[in-house]
Amino acid sequence: MINEENDFRKLDLTVGDVFSKDARLKARNVNVFYGNNKAIDNVTIDIGNKEVISFIGPSGCGKSTFLRCFNRMNDTIDTCRVEGKITLEDENIYDRKIDVVPLRARIGMVFQKPNPFPKSIYDNVAYGPRIHGLCENKDHLDGIVEQSLKRAGLWEEVNDRLLSAGTGLSGGQQQRLCIARAIAVSPEVILMDEPCSALDPIATAKIEELIHELGNEYSIVIVTHSMQQAARVSKRTAYFHLGKLIEVGKTKNIFTRPKHSQTEAYISGKIG
Amino acid sequence: MNNKLINPTRASEIVRNSIAKRRAKDNRLKLYGRIAIGFAVCFLIFLFSSIFIKGYPGFFQYYVTLDINFDRERIDPQGDLSDNSLFNGEASKIVNEALFTIIDPKGRKAKKQAKKMVSSGKDVRLTNLVKSNPNLFGTISSVKFALDDDIDSFLRGYIKRETPESERRISDQIIKFVDKLDKEGRISYEFSDYILNGSASGNPEMAGIKGAFFGSILTLSVCLLIAFPLGVATAVYLEEVAKKNKITELIEVNINNLAAVPSVVFGIMGLAIFISIFGMPRSIPLVGGMVLALMTLPTIIISSRAAIRAVPPSVRDAAYGIGASKLQVIFHHVIPLAMPGMLTGTIIGMAQALGETAPLLMIGMVAFIVDVPNSVMDPGTVLPVQIFMWADFAERMFIQKTSAAIIILLGFLISMNAFAIYLRKKLERRW
Repeated sequence: MINEENDFRKLDLTVGDVFSKDARLKARNVNVFYGNNKAIDNVTIDIGNKEVISFIGPSGCGKSTFLRCFNRMNDTIDTCRVEGKITLEDENIYDRKIDVVPLRARIGMVFQKPNPFPKSIYDNVAYGPRIHGLCENKDHLDGIVEQSLKRAGLWEEVNDRLLSAGTGLSGGQQQRLCIARAIAVSPEVILMDEPCSALDPIATAKIEELIHELGNEYSIVIVTHSMQQAARVSKRTAYFHLGKLIEVGKTKNIFTRPKHSQTEAYISGKIG
Repeated sequence: MNNKLINPTRASEIVRNSIAKRRAKDNRLKLYGRIAIGFAVCFLIFLFSSIFIKGYPGFFQYYVTLDINFDRERIDPQGDLSDNSLFNGEASKIVNEALFTIIDPKGRKAKKQAKKMVSSGKDVRLTNLVKSNPNLFGTISSVKFALDDDIDSFLRGYIKRETPESERRISDQIIKFVDKLDKEGRISYEFSDYILNGSASGNPEMAGIKGAFFGSILTLSVCLLIAFPLGVATAVYLEEVAKKNKITELIEVNINNLAAVPSVVFGIMGLAIFISIFGMPRSIPLVGGMVLALMTLPTIIISSRAAIRAVPPSVRDAAYGIGASKLQVIFHHVIPLAMPGMLTGTIIGMAQALGETAPLLMIGMVAFIVDVPNSVMDPGTVLPVQIFMWADFAERMFIQKTSAAIIILLGFLISMNAFAIYLRKKLERRW
């Protein structure tokens, strides 16, 4: 099933459906180094169009590092070096000619800890459209902010206090604000790095519901520690272990009939 | 015994027994702390009260009220109120005549002594008066003139009547005149209009801090305008842009060392570079400000870097994650969040610069300059240098003026800091 791709070397480990017919992002033989330390070892995977895929694995397995390769957030770390190729619509995002600014506008990110700017709710959402020049006038910007907050399911709760502090919201609301902020620049892909790990179960449920809805419009890559969450929100799941991509497949199959023994060990609680 | 756990009852007993000792230690620490703070507060109170008590009289001085006959023809011979005309007039003589009518000196020697009783600034005072109010011409009005500093010291009791005349700075004759003026109620002790409006002067009764005050303002403005943008830019570059390598490490070490370099060294450097090589004039606030800027730069850079480092990385991540460019991240997020810390460093640096004397002596800002500097290119001096100069003079009255100038310097410092704290509080509006 993997021989149709001619631009990548043999995969020693990964089992399952690495490729997707309608791929938006393609990662080919990606290696990531922190100094001399290899954090990601020869990972190849496709992220499908309008697909929710979750990355699972024990702590330190490199799933967050790999996620951050997609929008080149690793560039901000001095010692970090990425090898291999990641393409967004047949364009290598690690090409010298590629500017990270438009790339990050196309591939949004939501972080582990809710990190709204220390500004008002309105300014938080409006920041992206403003810096990218996406809005023609104030009304248009108001519209973008409202629409983004509505999609993030936050409009009802904050529409009467848009000018109050974004950091004054509860943890779950802050995280949805961050999602709204990411949506506001109309990205194609949203990367989520353990978006619920700092949240209580009710807030988590809300975010998961939101991911479910957003999955109809965006490609979403979500890194999670919770296998239940992966099972609930994603169609595909990738299991990482010690920097290697062990298995990729339909979420259903991964959790019920894992092909690889390590995957099985992890989901049955023997590793991690 | 050694390898066994102690049983719980025994353990709690041991803990209970040691409690009193531990508490005592706590309390002793608290006591030492309080004693230390008490000492510090005492010294502070002592310092401030002594400065205030010594300096307060410096804001006042003795004046004599004389009835001046404003005869236009004598004061303003050309009749056009021009400086030239007023200079050629007989203002001085008129004041002396007014004085003589009261004390009535007999003989040339007595008249000569009497002329010196009123401060030598009397003619300027009179001409300024008619210039601002020409309606005075043709009237006889009473005007207050500053008394000579020796008489001032005599009236304050620093020069004693009992001292033999040969050892006294003023003669018996003058004391007689002063007594006469006093009996007529002509002598008054009032808020000095020279301390704030006057400039450097060899006559202590006319000396004031205006020139030095504006010199300080100009010098500090130059210093702030150079040091703040440069310091912040350096800090931003080193923290946000530059790669961490041997070169940046070397730069960092050197900046830290510069912060500890004695200030006089910066003065020598300013003398060598700005004045000798670039041929800039001596004594001007521009050079002074540049020297002080060099001195305050390390302080500003170090505190700005600390402030930038304190900006949570999550904010940077968020901004980068949404596609902000480096410049946007720096200007929209890092600098606004770091600004309060940067300002704190700047305040400390400016306060240092305000009180600095040594480097300014090196570049000649110690010169005796009577005019108030109007621009950064005019020669001038600054408050601490003025204080330094006054403290060196022999006249008794300069001691009070020195203390008064110190009060003004402290006031300047406190108001500068208060403004900066206000600014910081305003910017610190965290969400």
